[in-house]
Amino acid sequence: MSAQLQATLCACVFIILCTTAGAVGTPVGTVIQNTATVTFDLAGTPVTLQSNVATITVVERIDVIVTRQSPQILVAPGDTGRAILFTVSNTGNGSEAFALAIDSLIGGDDFDPVPAVPAIYFDTDASGDFNIGDVAYNPGVNDPVLAADASQNFFIVNDIPALVVNSQIGFSQLTATALTGSGAPGTEYPGQGDGGVDAVIGTTGGEDADIGEYLVSDVVLNVVKSQLVSDPFGGTQPVPGATITYTVTVEVTSSGTATASVFSDLIPTYTSFVPASIALNALALTDAIDADAGEYDTAGAPRVVVRLGDLTQADGVQTVVFQVTID
Amino acid sequence: MKYLMSATLTLLLLSLPVAAQEQGSLNVMTTVQKEEVFVNDAGESETRLVPANTVVPGEAVIYTITFQNVGDEPAGNVVITNPIAETLSYVDGSAFGPGMQLQFSVDGGQNFAAANALTVEEDGTARPAGPADFTHIRWVMQNELAVNAMATARFTAVLK
Repeated sequence: MSAQLQATLCACVFIILCTTAGAVGTPVGTVIQNTATVTFDLAGTPVTLQSNVATITVVERIDVIVTRQSPQILVAPGDTGRAILFTVSNTGNGSEAFALAIDSLIGGDDFDPVPAVPAIYFDTDASGDFNIGDVAYNPGVNDPVLAADASQNFFIVNDIPALVVNSQIGFSQLTATALTGSGAPGTEYPGQGDGGVDAVIGTTGGEDADIGEYLVSDVVLNVVKSQLVSDPFGGTQPVPGATITYTVTVEVTSSGTATASVFSDLIPTYTSFVPASIALNALALTDAIDADAGEYDTAGAPRVVVRLGDLTQADGVQTVVFQVTID
Repeated sequence: MKYLMSATLTLLLLSLPVAAQEQGSLNVMTTVQKEEVFVNDAGESETRLVPANTVVPGEAVIYTITFQNVGDEPAGNVVITNPIAETLSYVDGSAFGPGMQLQFSVDGGQNFAAANALTVEEDGTARPAGPADFTHIRWVMQNELAVNAMATARFTAVLK
């Protein structure tokens, strides 16, 4: 009879649809013509005439912006495959391909995360969560091509060294570089824009990077499970038909946050769950898998599941109670 | 001699539609330029105007309208009107023309007034017009344009 408690330190990810409307410039190839009109009187007779047509053609401006979407990611020492979400946005006015790169050796932090292999993934299913369907980025093979003003989400994935300690921070950076070229704003790439027009580097230099953060938060949880037996005869003997009331207390006893903590406890063999017996902090929870915080889950081995949410020391003791009967 | 002169005139007339148009008695030409920073012989950065054949979003272009009275009578009530293309946004305060009064339109060139006299309807209420609302610029010459006299009107806009 062992209480299982999974304090899942999970990356809460915001999905931000980055279509910065209006940020995009006038499309490549647009021709802008200007004609001035002059009117005047000549010996009392009004005359109107037009100037020549002054023409300018819009060429490609290459710009890119990388934006971190994930908040600070809470990690434990030795964690593997921890992802940070970024958005790469083509803020130029033409279609452009970009090369991506990860750098986890940047300064200013307490430790260096270790890039996984591969270390960069497309958010293929646009879920904002790093999962099995996400396709790895392979430089020169599947460089993302973004239309003007389009954006695409990517993950950079790192392992956390085993020898880090609580409250240490590690940085990891994603860089996107326009394949046509990058450099000082105003640098020209003749004939390399969309449709063979010139391309010009914009204010971003055709390259941008943003930094994600890992915070070591190895939360210490104090979990205590106790039981009270009540037999059909008014005693406390564990005989068939007796009811066992389990009380499990969970408490964070360190700094840090146990994010999205889930309590999960298997129903012991030779016992049966007592319907409608789950309570969290003296508040009854239904057995059904529904909107409340807990359920009796029979999908696999029967178990009681209660979601405790984000726990810190300030939340104090959380008490889960449920009952079984001895078969 | 006479034959030669006539040949020169024909040549001139042929080349005119490209560079400018000469009708009536005013010669009007529009040029569009942009600023370019270059390093001079002394190694200093300087700015110069170069033809703006190509531009990128965010870049400023300068339109210059030059007109000259090539007739033999003074021209009165000279008014230059220039539209601001939808893809351009007028740079506030950039329009100027010596000896000319500036007017703007916010309704596609139907009505013109001084910039601070224009309003725009927005959500049922009128607000003062801003440079983004201007659709046309108009330069109104205060005096007659004498024979052979030349004048210049100019404004700057940024490609959206």
